[in-house]
Amino acid sequence: MSSVTGGPPASESQASGEGPEPRARSFDTHGPLARVLSLREGSIIVVAIVTAVYFSLETSNFLTGANFKTLLPYFAPLTILAAGEVFVMILGEIDLSIGAMYLFSPILFYKLSTAGISLVPSVVIALLCCMAVGAVNGFFTAVVGISSFVATLGMLFTFEGLSLIISHGAPVNTPGAEVHQTTVKVEHVVNGHHIFLTETVNHVGTFAKIFGAGTYSEFIWAIVIVFLLQTALTFTRWGLHTVAIGSNKLGAAEAGVSVRLITIRNFVLCSLTAGLVGILEAVRAGSVQPDPSGANEILFFAIASAVIGGTLLAGGSGTVIGALIGALFLGILQDGLILQGVNANYKLFYLGLAIIVAMTVNVYVQRARRGHGSG
Amino acid sequence: MADAQPIETVVPPTSAPDDVLRVEHISKRFGPVTALRDVNLHLRKGEVLGLLGDNGSGKSTLIKTISGFQKQDSGEMFLHGEPYRPRGVDDARSQGIDTVFQDLALIDELSVYHNMFLCREHVHHPIPLLANRRMKRETRTALDEIGINIPRIDVAVARLSGGQRQAIAVARTVNSDADILLLDEPLAAMGAKEGSMILDLVARLKAEGRVSIIMILHNYVHVLQACDRVSMIQDGVITLDKPTNETSVEELTEIVVNEYRRAREQERSERQAQG
Repeated sequence: MSSVTGGPPASESQASGEGPEPRARSFDTHGPLARVLSLREGSIIVVAIVTAVYFSLETSNFLTGANFKTLLPYFAPLTILAAGEVFVMILGEIDLSIGAMYLFSPILFYKLSTAGISLVPSVVIALLCCMAVGAVNGFFTAVVGISSFVATLGMLFTFEGLSLIISHGAPVNTPGAEVHQTTVKVEHVVNGHHIFLTETVNHVGTFAKIFGAGTYSEFIWAIVIVFLLQTALTFTRWGLHTVAIGSNKLGAAEAGVSVRLITIRNFVLCSLTAGLVGILEAVRAGSVQPDPSGANEILFFAIASAVIGGTLLAGGSGTVIGALIGALFLGILQDGLILQGVNANYKLFYLGLAIIVAMTVNVYVQRARRGHGSG
Repeated sequence: MADAQPIETVVPPTSAPDDVLRVEHISKRFGPVTALRDVNLHLRKGEVLGLLGDNGSGKSTLIKTISGFQKQDSGEMFLHGEPYRPRGVDDARSQGIDTVFQDLALIDELSVYHNMFLCREHVHHPIPLLANRRMKRETRTALDEIGINIPRIDVAVARLSGGQRQAIAVARTVNSDADILLLDEPLAAMGAKEGSMILDLVARLKAEGRVSIIMILHNYVHVLQACDRVSMIQDGVITLDKPTNETSVEELTEIVVNEYRRAREQERSERQAQG
């Protein structure tokens, strides 16, 4: 029996015996920093801020509105991908097929749209297909009992391959993202004289503006999705049962949690967010690129965002907001390295080293945080 | 091999007019292992039934079958006289049977009050967000009623002691509006102080007469003290079914001593047959 229950370490039970609220006291004595650190994603917030401060001191144009707009496409898509992945990772599973969904959904969208289906229904059908793939992932994992790593790796290759087959490996223009150019005369004042100069203005349709091409489109999608999914994770039975399965699968099942249903549902969600990002990115770029290596890179960055944001690979713990901050951290790193004028060949090298250094710092910040007795 | 061994008495299906639960001819195999061979059991209204048995005798399998966690291979169960075929733990709970499993089924990452309401959470209407304040309040009331001291109910249960965790698992089941409680070793990780609190709680529930309880225990003194009736399960069958006031620690001990002696003799004869 002792093997099942295992009490907490002596030091912790002592700490909780000291008084009714040891955690609240450490807030008071250590101020706002301790308050931030006591959050699950607190340490990565600190690391992200330090990184941002470093780049704003090192480069003159990091802290500008224009740079914020450049930063958006780095982290908004990663945020959405990682947000869905968090739901699978908290279960203690992993979904590698998001790379394939990211690649597959815009190609399917293109095929549907060129077959005569209008834009929004094409998006909806493409996303429903992604969700069906997610359900298959969940079925293999929860019902058949294949490890999710292997099952979704198989699905990754299968659907990346399928994407190449149906697209014939050729890039195409994204439907609905056509750019119309008009010329307008803009009034300028030069040396006190009013003159009119002709300028070319690019226009995209409302569909494109909403689905990724608008400057803040992906950012707004990301913020809304993070808000909804974090709310679902913290304040609904679904989220509670997700954590329960990841923390103690047998116990959750004994308590009556429908492990299979929740597992399948979370895989469906993860595939849906990945498919959505695929379409958003294709509309933003204006073209659909059947490029599995690019999709695989996005896949790794998305999982890295979730892990950097504090989600455990072992399951049972994680937050969607953490995934947002993890993605923001990776975005700041990439953007900052470019602003610093790092040679393109060195970028990946420095990025890798920076991630390792930052995560090492993160571990020490977390230990300091545990030292406050608020782990 | 187990089938070849003679068992002195196998309790046949018995019943009483005020039975809430009857279990008849239940069997369950896990691959080559026969966990339950032919189990007959009944539980009367307001009764506390103590279930005794050696490790691996099938106690927990029986509890998991009644609780809806797993299905029997054959045999029938009856709840209030009606056929009872739970589709799952949740279904069993909705029919009034709730269980404290041996491993407690607590979620370390979740707070005390989320564990208390796991799978029967209160939610707001119309937007189904968790009604955390209400769950906290009711958890506090429930724990106070039992008399278990848990200073903070918003900490993760991972930070509590073994006894506190066990108390929460018991409180969760007692608090569930079920009328049949299954307790699989409710005293296992507890010290004398917490254990006596749980036994007091069982005595209080018995006095109220609302719930009927099947409790797996190891300590014969506890069985005689807390239970109305005692059943012993050996090798997947029930071999003893007696009111506690007709048996004694000596009789129960003797049954177990005999069981060990038989096992030893059997092993010896098998070795001779081989040699």
